Amino acid sequence: MLQFIIKRMVIIVPMALIVVSLTWGLVRLAPGNFYISEKKLPDAIEKNIREKYGLNKPVSEQYLMMMGNIVRGDFGSSLKYEGQSVNEILARTVPVSALIGILAYLLALLIGVTAGTIAALRQNSGLDYGSMAFAMLGQSVPNFVIAPILVLVFSLWLYWLPPARWNGFFGIANLVLPVVTLAAVYAAYIARLTRAGMLEVLRSDYIRTARAKGLSEWTVVYRHALRGGLMPVVSFTGPALAGLLAGTVVVERIYALPGLGNVFIQSCLNRDEPLILGVVAFVSVLIMVANLLVDIAYAYLDPRIRY
Amino acid sequence: MMKEENAKGTSLWKDAWRRLLKNKLAVFGMIVMAIMIVAVIVGPTIIEQLTGYTYDYMPSDQDLIKSMPPSLTHPMGTDDTGRDILARVLIGGRISLMVGIISTFVSLIIGISYGAIAGYLGGSIDNLMMRIVDVLYAIPYILIVIVLLSVFGKSNTPAWIKSIVDTIGGGQGMSQIILLFIALGAVSWLTMARVVRGQVLSLKNQEFVMAAKATGVTTLGIIFKHIVPNTLGPVIVYATLTIPSVMLSEAFLSFLGIGVQAPFASWGSLAADGIKNIAIFPWQLIFPGVTMALTLFSLNFLGDGLRDAIDPQQRKF
Repeated sequence: MLQFIIKRMVIIVPMALIVVSLTWGLVRLAPGNFYISEKKLPDAIEKNIREKYGLNKPVSEQYLMMMGNIVRGDFGSSLKYEGQSVNEILARTVPVSALIGILAYLLALLIGVTAGTIAALRQNSGLDYGSMAFAMLGQSVPNFVIAPILVLVFSLWLYWLPPARWNGFFGIANLVLPVVTLAAVYAAYIARLTRAGMLEVLRSDYIRTARAKGLSEWTVVYRHALRGGLMPVVSFTGPALAGLLAGTVVVERIYALPGLGNVFIQSCLNRDEPLILGVVAFVSVLIMVANLLVDIAYAYLDPRIRY
Repeated sequence: MMKEENAKGTSLWKDAWRRLLKNKLAVFGMIVMAIMIVAVIVGPTIIEQLTGYTYDYMPSDQDLIKSMPPSLTHPMGTDDTGRDILARVLIGGRISLMVGIISTFVSLIIGISYGAIAGYLGGSIDNLMMRIVDVLYAIPYILIVIVLLSVFGKSNTPAWIKSIVDTIGGGQGMSQIILLFIALGAVSWLTMARVVRGQVLSLKNQEFVMAAKATGVTTLGIIFKHIVPNTLGPVIVYATLTIPSVMLSEAFLSFLGIGVQAPFASWGSLAADGIKNIAIFPWQLIFPGVTMALTLFSLNFLGDGLRDAIDPQQRKF
């Protein structure tokens, strides 16, 4: 097990570097340059810019320089947000996205596991069909459609919640709509996964044994069935994290939140190379570490799995 | 010999078809999709015949250049410049469905080739190829797609895409759509490769493969002529489920303004236009959004139904 963890941790570094190289290649392959704007720059200024960013050196040297900096965790300064280092920008925006993402995933787990378990326990009942149809709906309605409808109903008609903007980490009223929007899709997926997993587990022998022992239904479900039935949900956490990231891009844009997603889109449109690379490197490592944690959790929950 | 195989094949598919028809939700999905496809193909022409509105026709009468609520002439209302939203939703649907289908096709070609080769060759090559897939799974694709579309989009289109666009027409908007096909297709083949490999592993030791080998068919011939056609069932199922997820990605990218761009429209870009006026003219968002949700809903049900019908063993109760 320990060997497996170490192996996987060692692999993360080259993987992240491959992703960063790929991104760097894409940004560089595109015709034009980040400093090309509407107005043509005077030659002297252009020459200065090229020197400042090392663009007059050979490409291989530029690549090595970039990689060297990234390995040391120094992503440089943003080209468009002047006077701000990429690390500062990350430190400012990541907590916002992380807060929304974590709250959304917790909410999705709560709703999804409850709905999926109930659906499995009452298989083929109206409750089952109802919650599964609802889950399918949540999976099919894009979050940029859910979001404005929520705003329309809860902000503009009912005046219950603010329609947008960030109000600090404790501005809970401002967090409700973004979190619910983001959670909807995942609640739907988790409900379907839980239902499928629980149905399989509920038919297994050890559940019959537990029932035969005379344990209460609550104990059977909560103590015995859920542990096995939630395995698909655990393995879904990795992809979900990547998806949450994409989700936050839309949610942050609609609700005007100062998070990582918003900054990333902006940096791509600005062609802000250091910022693009910084975000990609950070997120890749984050997702790979999360996947590793999921695999460890998987082995812990299912004693049959050995690495 | 040949005839017998055909007869058996037909009955297998007939069986699946019968099971599919029993699934009410899948039938519902199939009917909605049939209507949707016919509507996006002939709908715009019919609207033009009836009302004179095309998807980008703006009325010259000053009184009509405003967003009007749904009415008999404009069942989905009009947008800020007086354009008919129904016509725009149908034309947008063409693009959205096209992106979904073509990108899925791109992912099919990559995924099937990769998975079939890995599964058939087996051994250390298979091991290596599948390890690469495992590794690729960990990459946050959406970031790379966003980078790809934003740096190559706008005026930075690569030359070879430009030359394709020059022959088929459509200008800058079309080259962005071609970029979308490639980007979305290139990132959604991984699961397909795994599905196909699994199938190939179970097929490659069967008699018909041995027979083909004995008659001297080349390795590539065996893979693509004898084995791949037999993996069709799961491939169709998975493709049906890939289309809605690709369409959702397209909508997401178009919504952010880096996917489909004017003069073209897709459901995502229409929703992005509509969201600005949600408080005053809600129909501008609601109709494209509901149409898209209905389509994805139907495709998901159809895909689930197909899975149950074609591969009953895989069925999760």
